[in-house]
Amino acid sequence: MIAQNFEYSSPASLEEALQMMAGGDAKILAGGMSLIPLMKLRLATPGHLVDLSRVPALDGVTEEKGNIRVGAMTTHFQVESSALLRARCPLLAAAASHIGDMQVRNMGTIGGSLAHADPAADYPAALFALEARVRLLRVGSDRTIALSDFLVDTFTTVAEAGEMIREVIVPVEEAGTGVSYQKLVQPASGFAIVGIAARIRKSGGKISMARVGVTGLGPMPYRAVGVEKMLEGTAGTADDIRKAASVVADGVDANTDIHASAAYRARMAAVYAGRAIQAAVSRAA
Amino acid sequence: MAPTIITKTEKLVGQRIRRKEDPRLITGTATYVDDIQMQGMHHACIVRSPYAAAKIAGIDTKAASALPGVVAVFTGADTKDVGPVPCGASLPGLRVPYHHILAVDRTYFAGHPVAVVVATDRYIARDGAELVEVDYDPLPAVADPEKALEAGAPAVHPEWADNIAFNFHQEGGDTAKAFAEAEVVVKQRITSQRLIPTAMETRGVVADYNTGDEALTVYSSTQIPHLLRTLLAQMLGLPEHHLRVVAPEVGGGFGSKLNVYAEEALMGFVAMRIGKPVKWIESRRENYLCTIHGRGHVDYYEMAARKDGTILGLRLKLIQDLGAYHQLLTPAIPTLSVLMMPGLYRFKNIQADIVGVFTNCVPTDAYRGAGRPEATHGIERMVDILAAELKMDPVEIRMKNFIQPEEFPFATATGLIYDSGNYDAPLKKALELADYPGLRRRQAEARKQGKLMGVGVSTYGEICAFGPSPATPAGGWECATVKIDPSGKVTVGTGASPHGQGEETTFAQIAADELGVGMDDVVVVHGDTAVVPYGIGTFGSRGTAVGGPALYYALQKLKEKIKKFGAMLLESEDVTFVEGRCVCNRSGKSVSLAEVAGASYRAMKLPPGEDPGMQATYFWEPPNFTFPFGAHIVVTEVDADTGKIAVSRYIAVDDCGKIINPLLVDGQVHGGVAQGLGQALFEQAVYDENGQLLTGELMDYAIPKATMMPWVESHHTETPSPVNPLGVKGVGEAGTIGCTPAVVNSVVDALSVLGVRHIDMPMTPEKIWTLLQGGQA
Amino acid sequence: MKIGGVYQLPVARDRAYSMLQDPAILARCIPGCGGLNRTAGNEYNMQMKLALASISGLFEGKVRITEQNPPESFRLAVEGKGKIGFMKGDGLLRLVDKDGGTEVSYVGDVQVGGTIAAVGQRLLDTTAKMMIKRFFDQLAECAGQ
Repeated sequence: MIAQNFEYSSPASLEEALQMMAGGDAKILAGGMSLIPLMKLRLATPGHLVDLSRVPALDGVTEEKGNIRVGAMTTHFQVESSALLRARCPLLAAAASHIGDMQVRNMGTIGGSLAHADPAADYPAALFALEARVRLLRVGSDRTIALSDFLVDTFTTVAEAGEMIREVIVPVEEAGTGVSYQKLVQPASGFAIVGIAARIRKSGGKISMARVGVTGLGPMPYRAVGVEKMLEGTAGTADDIRKAASVVADGVDANTDIHASAAYRARMAAVYAGRAIQAAVSRAA
Repeated sequence: MAPTIITKTEKLVGQRIRRKEDPRLITGTATYVDDIQMQGMHHACIVRSPYAAAKIAGIDTKAASALPGVVAVFTGADTKDVGPVPCGASLPGLRVPYHHILAVDRTYFAGHPVAVVVATDRYIARDGAELVEVDYDPLPAVADPEKALEAGAPAVHPEWADNIAFNFHQEGGDTAKAFAEAEVVVKQRITSQRLIPTAMETRGVVADYNTGDEALTVYSSTQIPHLLRTLLAQMLGLPEHHLRVVAPEVGGGFGSKLNVYAEEALMGFVAMRIGKPVKWIESRRENYLCTIHGRGHVDYYEMAARKDGTILGLRLKLIQDLGAYHQLLTPAIPTLSVLMMPGLYRFKNIQADIVGVFTNCVPTDAYRGAGRPEATHGIERMVDILAAELKMDPVEIRMKNFIQPEEFPFATATGLIYDSGNYDAPLKKALELADYPGLRRRQAEARKQGKLMGVGVSTYGEICAFGPSPATPAGGWECATVKIDPSGKVTVGTGASPHGQGEETTFAQIAADELGVGMDDVVVVHGDTAVVPYGIGTFGSRGTAVGGPALYYALQKLKEKIKKFGAMLLESEDVTFVEGRCVCNRSGKSVSLAEVAGASYRAMKLPPGEDPGMQATYFWEPPNFTFPFGAHIVVTEVDADTGKIAVSRYIAVDDCGKIINPLLVDGQVHGGVAQGLGQALFEQAVYDENGQLLTGELMDYAIPKATMMPWVESHHTETPSPVNPLGVKGVGEAGTIGCTPAVVNSVVDALSVLGVRHIDMPMTPEKIWTLLQGGQA
Repeated sequence: MKIGGVYQLPVARDRAYSMLQDPAILARCIPGCGGLNRTAGNEYNMQMKLALASISGLFEGKVRITEQNPPESFRLAVEGKGKIGFMKGDGLLRLVDKDGGTEVSYVGDVQVGGTIAAVGQRLLDTTAKMMIKRFFDQLAECAGQ
């Protein structure tokens, strides 16, 4: 459990960090909850680690013009316990509270998790439901893209060499929106076998907006647009929800491992989608 | 319940006292193997086979040896005269493969040690290990014990045509007659899956050779320092008195450190070859691949009974997955299962056939309970299956078949003499605590609402306090030394080697009571062969049950000497030793323990026939095992949509005899139940068909965490053991043994409305869900 | 681990079959492959660099094509050994005409050992599928050129 030799830098400013990254062969250390174990097993052997923990102002949650910006180095515990998120975007705080265990939540960060793009991570379910955006920085470049454009495949993002996540941007939740994150947990790792995030708005007794994010089921997290379409316009009865939830795994090549078969995962996606939507509907005003 | 504050006159035995060892453990000031630092210490990293079975065509160590900082690289060719790794168990016709400390020309399981790289620091050793080029020719492997028995299965050891290490038959009574007379016979295949012990501290060894003295000191995270010394001396060809073994703080063992491992001899070999101290610390990945696993049973049970529920006989075919080699006790573990087969029941007709099977996996050996959880699980499942078949209540059928208090001592069909017992008592207490009739009413209501609620009852009997020496491979006695310093302070040395059980506290309680001193006046030392006399070790719930009586008798011996010195000082024959003072019954004059001890060392005058000094040693041979028992009741709710199981109540009533410290007993029960729940609900070592361990890290091997635990209601009945003067029996394994059948019985009870009769562990949500869909789990 | 799947290639079956036997094309399509060197008739050595998220490793590998039955089927075996473990894949590929192109279906077995097997359990299936998908995506791209 001993890593290969590597160079370690701990820049004190964002500019310095970006300069270090500019060479393209450095790897960011942003909590290290996935990277460090891989390094200790020598499955990951980066030559240069740039630890962002000393860069000021990379963590924190702020509200600005209808959006909430969550700095890349904000820990899961900070997200989970942020008064601002709990009041103004409770779905993200709820998803964070399901990650790993207390030790992991104290060390791991939202930027680190997203950059790693684990197909069973908790955040993406909530962030897909929230239609979140990701701001990426590189020397000479500052772009903000949709999460759906950021994640491209299993463990794969569009971030280019030298590029790092600056922050994640989620909308301030409109009053009356009901949200829920429900997860079937894998007892060894704490990752999701399936995790479902739901956001529901109602208007005139009908569901006017439904957003459903899914993690753990397939090669990458996704937004279950089919479910959303089936819900919108209905009264959100138990039957409406059951029918809509039943299509959550349609067209998805479900994962199989020693913890859950593809068939079970797909079925649990429907069960948990039903539960998350039901909870969100009951909370929507 | 909060620990009690002791007033001076109260006895300490029986009190909830916090552990003396805890301050150093929780403040990080304890010394584990990895905390040991020495001048000039080198570090070792072991190269291990990624293949379960492969021929070693060649090993090239040139690049590794050339790495600056690497001082030596050894392979099987260098170490082939060391060893073999010993097996302490003997069975008729047992095939014992020669177990080299480093593979010589073939590897037998994934993780098999192939070479060792020694360097000036840990990092270089690890880099060096990566540079050792091993040319493997992969061979077919077999990981499943039943597949290993099939014709045409790859031979794990090519010197034998099949994979059968031994066949063992045991029979008591007349089983054929019992089955011929039976009105009902129930049959079931019941497995007890391979588990990974997962001690919090992995193994580790520091070896230090003094070339001047030709003496080797080995520090190892072990449960058995004395046995390790004896066996390691043989392996290394070193005179035993030139070897010292120290077990420093040991961060958990659960049986996995009741062993002699290749790495312990390998570090001794390295230290002797390089003339410098060397340290090896096992990684968690190595721990999972190379430290023994537990369980690994496939059992075929048949139970014969009358229609009124009277059990007549039991047949068992037991397939034990041994792994690739025999570690210290590997082949003996399933024979313990057979000993336990009668459980708490009166029937006397038993037939058992064990097939010990080699597989290309790491060996199995003793893991908390060691053979007894498997047996208890089997019989307690079978009793429930019989009850279901006869539509009887699981409580009624048990009470009908229990051995009654007046039947003790009771000779079992497997050759044991149960000395004492009152099996109704814990079961009745558990039923009362659970409000059993109320639970059944609630269950009936839940069923009406379509909910799946289960009530599981299990009783168990244990064989503990291993044990009478004739029944134990390396002696079953224990030893204690009590020494009183000139100042009156007390040092207890025990040959048992506690490693988390808390004997530094319980032994201090015993000694303090007997000598009339305070807890703080006593220290308990252990785990160093240079400091304490020979002992056997802590395993099989024997630390207090065998080590405790040894201490008691040493204290009695010493008290006689104290009285003689007291009589001399008080110039009276009529002296009593009470509350830490020798008192003259006539004059009322007294002298303190310190005054007596001081006089014994100054030795200006000696009582007739007495030696100076104040020390006594006692080696105690137990006349029998002890037989603890108990009853566990578990209430579960099953989520019909997902198959998830929630344990809503857990009631444990354990009878471990006289309780020395209820706080520690409850801790043992909680820990045991946690490991039982782990097995029942999620733990499982998974090998693929090629012998690759798929649960190779904590990311995939699910141990129970604190947040997953139900509240365990731990209660007791106290039936003192007649075997020893303390009346103690042992409790370290009770939780693990009582737990799994209670949990499985509960879930099967919940699913019985669907016709489910048995579920194999671990009862994962998917397995339950599959059953709920009408499938075969 | 059993694997299986179906891919559609936008070329005629004869062309698809010959592409799948062409070492230059295979080298372009096997993820991380640094080139194939023929060692015998249909056997090749290769160096492969696996890179997936933070995980990376170099593998010394072999590719072997057997049971050739043009243009219908053949067996493809790929194996690699490296410091982080080994992998071995063996599959039967079948080609049928479909929708003006060729449908390639495969069934096979993947064996993984060493560190990657023990720690990557949760992700092996997903990763194997992704690698195979990349292979066929790349093949489709080659076919389009």
